Amino acid sequence: MKLLVCVKQVPDSERRLSINQEGSWIVDENRAAFRMNRFDEFALEEALLIRDHISHDKQTSIDAVSVGPPRASLALKKAMAMGADEGIHILIDHDRYMSPFDTASLIAAYAKDKAYDMVLAGVMAEDDMHCLVGQFIAEILEYPCATSVIHQRIINAGSEISVEREIESGRRECLRLNLPAVLTIQSGINTPGYPSLSNVIRARDQKIITIDAGKLQPPEKREELVSLAYPEPSSKGLFINGTQREKAQALLRILHEKSFI
Amino acid sequence: MKAQIVVIAEHTGNRILPVTYESLSFAMELGKRLGLNVSILILGNTVEAMAKQLAERTGSHVTGVEGEQFEFYNGEACKAAAIEVLETFDPSYICMPHTATGFDLAPRLAFYLNASCVTSVEKILDREGDIRFIRSMFNGKLHAEMAPATAKTVLTILPGAWPALEICPESKGSVHIIRANSVPVASQTLKIKESEKGKLNLGDADVIISAGRGIRNPENLHLLEELAKIFPKSVLGSSKAACDLGWLGYQHQIGITGQTVSPRLYIACGISGAVQHISGMRGSQTIIGINRDPDASIFNVADYAIVENLETFIPILLEEFKHFSASS
Repeated sequence: MKLLVCVKQVPDSERRLSINQEGSWIVDENRAAFRMNRFDEFALEEALLIRDHISHDKQTSIDAVSVGPPRASLALKKAMAMGADEGIHILIDHDRYMSPFDTASLIAAYAKDKAYDMVLAGVMAEDDMHCLVGQFIAEILEYPCATSVIHQRIINAGSEISVEREIESGRRECLRLNLPAVLTIQSGINTPGYPSLSNVIRARDQKIITIDAGKLQPPEKREELVSLAYPEPSSKGLFINGTQREKAQALLRILHEKSFI
Repeated sequence: MKAQIVVIAEHTGNRILPVTYESLSFAMELGKRLGLNVSILILGNTVEAMAKQLAERTGSHVTGVEGEQFEFYNGEACKAAAIEVLETFDPSYICMPHTATGFDLAPRLAFYLNASCVTSVEKILDREGDIRFIRSMFNGKLHAEMAPATAKTVLTILPGAWPALEICPESKGSVHIIRANSVPVASQTLKIKESEKGKLNLGDADVIISAGRGIRNPENLHLLEELAKIFPKSVLGSSKAACDLGWLGYQHQIGITGQTVSPRLYIACGISGAVQHISGMRGSQTIIGINRDPDASIFNVADYAIVENLETFIPILLEEFKHFSASS
């Protein structure tokens, strides 16, 4: 089996983010502030579990692909350290917002003649939070697609896959898809492991395959990001100040006034 | 009947979901701004009763598409049937709730229609006649203004961002039911599995104390449990991230793919405030946020914001509560 896992390098949303002067994207001041999209870590781990599960098939390979500027190669190194066999970097020459349709078009253009049996991606990217790339790849490649996948099992000698997708209130939709297929993986499906030392060493020495995005078919223009803005601070919100004890006392007074205690 | 905005209704067990009426509020607002007409599309095994209900409540035209293939949601089957209807209506905007169904279907339709696709829309903005859609990025820390660059646009509407549509129109609306042709699909939806973990009805609680990844260590959950004891009828809630880490069961999850709650008091502990979570709790009467990150977007919806490390703050709060109850 040939598996392709889409990984995105995203800025760490837990740090302070500043918008660039043009208002078009965030300021990218240091490399350390980027990491692999957590949802893609679940997707990669699921690919590793599939490979372990069908270990009798010695041909199973996992490729990780990332669309991004030069720094995105670090996400591919991480994917290889986690256990991916190859890293493919679709290199773009700018460090701005990419629409999900553009990203999906580039990945699909790369994947279309590679005969992958399965394409896995995180259900969404933590930065733009669109939930779209996997479905667009499926549409372009004309593969069936299941989103928000929380369980999967390959059946019928590798010709089909049985999946459960997470829907509202903890319920699950059970589907069967013909392979090849695209799965977008929901967080919580597995517990992503730490890279093993041997994989870290292998990843360090292994070359990443780099493809210039300009050489792939440019997609047609769809929606555009006009600008980014800081959300208006809540008009009703009150920051409680003081020492920890003063804050605690103030909070208790409020809870008492509102008859909660 | 021409309609320039089509809302795709979501339903389960012969019941229209409240998020459908929220998407309709969005569509009505968009229609009013642009002078466009709204109609509704509903796909299902038997939809006539629901279609009538939608028509009466909205005064709009409702197209119902029936077929056994819609007993459970199937992206391929719904796409095939929806595009047949959409091709005759030729709408500029197609809207649906941002749910596991909505975000599955929206890009399938957008791709076929060569349409722009903007998900989890929270706000409409009019820039001198150009319509823009506002959505959150980076866990809600930033807002993005999106502009469609195509004739058609597919939108998913963030649950909780618009109130449910409440109108009793003069017009009774109209209903047209058609039968869908069965098309070959490469995926079959077989059944729905109900939640395995015992159902916990968070909606009954007066007070919800919620844990996010920011509590940092599952051992800190006992602090939240102690805090919950201060309040009668309280329960622990959770962000999806904390459930994924195994700190709390998914029956505690609030937000998209979890439960929607509106208690009298909601205390968010170590929750960053991603829209997926906010959409499930923004209806709470009073919201208190406790987070170490002063930029956390939970503070944009909180009535009271406390920038503190909860590992040290909650013990002091509990201690002060003892003094408080002893003196009152």
